[in-house]
Amino acid sequence: MTRHNPINSGVRVGITALAAYVLSGAVGAASLAKNPLQQVNVYSGRHYNTDKQLYAEFTRRTGIKVNLLEGKDDELIQRLKSEGNNGKADLLVLVDAARLYRAQEENLFRPIRSAQLNKDVPANLRDPGGRWFALTRRARPVMVNTAQVKPNLIRTYADLTRSELRGKLCLRNRASVYSQSLVADELVRRGAPATRKWVEGLVANKNGSFYTSDTTMVRAVGQGQCGVTIANQYYLARMLRGDNAADREAAKKVQVIWPTPTHVNVTAGGVTRSSSNPEAARRLLEFLASPTSGEGYAGANNEYPLKGWGNNPTLKAFGTFKASPVSIEQLGRRNREAVQLMTQAGWQ
Amino acid sequence: MKPGPVRSSSRSGLLLAVVAVSLLSLLPLITLVKGVLLSSGDQPPGLGYDGLSQVQSTLLLVAGEGVLGAVVGTAIGWLTASCRFPGRRWLRIAQLVPMAFPAYLLAASLVDWGSYRGLQIHGLNWAVVLLSLANYSYVFLLSTESFSVSGSRLLEASRSLGVGPWASFFRIALPIALPSIGAGVALSAMEVVNELGAVRLLGVPSLSAGILDRWQVDGDPQGAALLALVALAIVAVLIVSERMLRRRSRRWNLEGVGGDEHFWPLAGWRATLAQLFCALPPLAAVTIPALWIHEGWRGLRSESLSELLQLASRSLGLAFAATGVTCLGALLLAISHRWLPKPWLQQLTFVAGLGYAIPGSVLALGLMVFGGPLNLAPVLLLLWAYGDRFMAVSKQGLDAALERISPSIDETATSLGCDWLSVLKRVHLPLLRGPLLVGSLLVFVDVVKELPITLALRPFDYDTLAVRVFQYASDERVGAAMAPALLIMLFGLAASLALIPSLERRG
Repeated sequence: MTRHNPINSGVRVGITALAAYVLSGAVGAASLAKNPLQQVNVYSGRHYNTDKQLYAEFTRRTGIKVNLLEGKDDELIQRLKSEGNNGKADLLVLVDAARLYRAQEENLFRPIRSAQLNKDVPANLRDPGGRWFALTRRARPVMVNTAQVKPNLIRTYADLTRSELRGKLCLRNRASVYSQSLVADELVRRGAPATRKWVEGLVANKNGSFYTSDTTMVRAVGQGQCGVTIANQYYLARMLRGDNAADREAAKKVQVIWPTPTHVNVTAGGVTRSSSNPEAARRLLEFLASPTSGEGYAGANNEYPLKGWGNNPTLKAFGTFKASPVSIEQLGRRNREAVQLMTQAGWQ
Repeated sequence: MKPGPVRSSSRSGLLLAVVAVSLLSLLPLITLVKGVLLSSGDQPPGLGYDGLSQVQSTLLLVAGEGVLGAVVGTAIGWLTASCRFPGRRWLRIAQLVPMAFPAYLLAASLVDWGSYRGLQIHGLNWAVVLLSLANYSYVFLLSTESFSVSGSRLLEASRSLGVGPWASFFRIALPIALPSIGAGVALSAMEVVNELGAVRLLGVPSLSAGILDRWQVDGDPQGAALLALVALAIVAVLIVSERMLRRRSRRWNLEGVGGDEHFWPLAGWRATLAQLFCALPPLAAVTIPALWIHEGWRGLRSESLSELLQLASRSLGLAFAATGVTCLGALLLAISHRWLPKPWLQQLTFVAGLGYAIPGSVLALGLMVFGGPLNLAPVLLLLWAYGDRFMAVSKQGLDAALERISPSIDETATSLGCDWLSVLKRVHLPLLRGPLLVGSLLVFVDVVKELPITLALRPFDYDTLAVRVFQYASDERVGAAMAPALLIMLFGLAASLALIPSLERRG
């Protein structure tokens, strides 16, 4: 057996150095606490590199440093919840109504008053109690392959249950919050019995297995394996603007149909109850919701700004829609009922 | 016969260390159970509507992967250890390749590639195939080690008595290797119970997803705990049956490795068949991501090189630190069985080793609930969770290897006045170098690939490669995920290749 192998000792030095590096992460985190007024900590369920540019712009303007932890929405909620009064985040940014509602019910947000936020964020896109405010909008239109499905067959989500579409509809799985919020929207607008019938009709028209991602679903429509689907608009926009030639070709064969009304969901943020720097968090929220930076926040992901349609040429080509009047708060409130109904109807 | 009671004071140091390690690894579980008992959900506890299908499909996954992984891993382990055919050495090394590819990456790339071809990759069968591909190496590594090391003399003897290759495999080599195969299958089955990303992508209901959804989405911690108990029960059954297998076939390897004469030479179609069989799994593991990269490389959007380097150094740093912590804990627990044969301690360490059975995200939840109020540093929690989660990976191999070291060696050393520490240094460590190295590298690769714990517990502005891959992939931006994914596979490969010498020495 080798006792003093130079490779072994080299490895040992390397391990020590790396361990020191890892621990420096802990020390670095501790040093953040030294100057709390000059920084704001963000837990975010969004993951776009361009978000970081926007945070950097905020720092440039205000001198307030933004520390970021991106993760899964549900996990961030759990983390903040278990941190209790030691909560590390000042601002919690979440995607989807159901998660916002959950965080609200867990009492993680603190109500804030801001004339600017009330002006920039439409009333149905913020909590009436001032606990959270939407930052971007996303829509979930119908998308068809015109070679397979006549676009004029579909004017509302209800039309998707028509018998002409049997075996042509591709559906996202029940685990997706996008599907859940869409069903919650119908529940609010049309009531439980009609929604139940509608969900059963969708499942009856389904083609193949339930999809686990929107992109593969839109691709399947473009390639003709599906005639029609329901997907968030930015997935199609991304394929159209992307570098993959096969995706661009497939996306060109997909036509967007805006049902009346169209289901809309949001990214939203709120100042946390445990925030040690709520003032800075409010300023960051105001900055992100303002029309100029809102454009940047939405643009990164081909989303819609809070008001109007924005300047994204790809989105403009999709046309405009009449947004569902259902408030984000209502969507969250009815989420559990929606999931139960989907489960019973065999939506996997 | 047990080693004599020499210098019991130093042995109480070992006892203290073992109890401490066990308690540390049990703490997250205890926290969870306590939280569940104290909280009151608004639903009566029960498996619920989805629970049954989640239990069913997890059982099917474990069974399917267990059988497929055991057959493939054992067959390749035997072929490359005990037969001789052209390319054997390279094919033996190639079996380490699939370990570099996390199941979630294999699934993501296959689903994405299929969607370009009009194929919907979905469902249980695909999940069994992909999970077997990602995990059969555990069985291969542990079984081939046993085929090469143990019983070569017995094989020679049987051969001289006229036993053919098939009979010598089924009647001698297989029974001797059973504990190692069992350990490998148990490890890979635990990986399957834990799997989250791949099964979600393939639309397969699973206990791990069910636990998380119950807890975080439905706000039903009792329901989550119930499912977690089912998952624990499945793994406990696996471990117990593996132990029974091991007990039934306990043998010690008293002789050294025999000469070259006990190999079975293969030629002609037999050699070709062996080559094909050994080449197929590693080839598949490489081909799937390669096809995907070929499809999407134009969409490759990389962050700056310095950003990538930073992500990589965090992944590596965490992996090194976690490997150290984990292997030390595993070694302590493993040797404690030899020195402290107290039934309660054995039960304690057995339960402590179950950390591997808890889905990473659930473990993270436990540590969050425990560490959050105490304001513990996130990096500390992170290393703690890795240690808890991966201790079994290292310990399984050590346990199997210790079984092969005759207790008479310990007895001799003890009678010569050595305490457990010097026996460890002078006898066990040299003999355990191979399994310890294998264990360390397995843990290292696992940590580099690890996602749910890292994602849930890391500090601010502390992304790793796996975290970045997840972030892009969850936004369905496959092109952007490619660069960090490639680096993960690269590190996994490098670590796997570091296992070559330990294979070569035996092969």
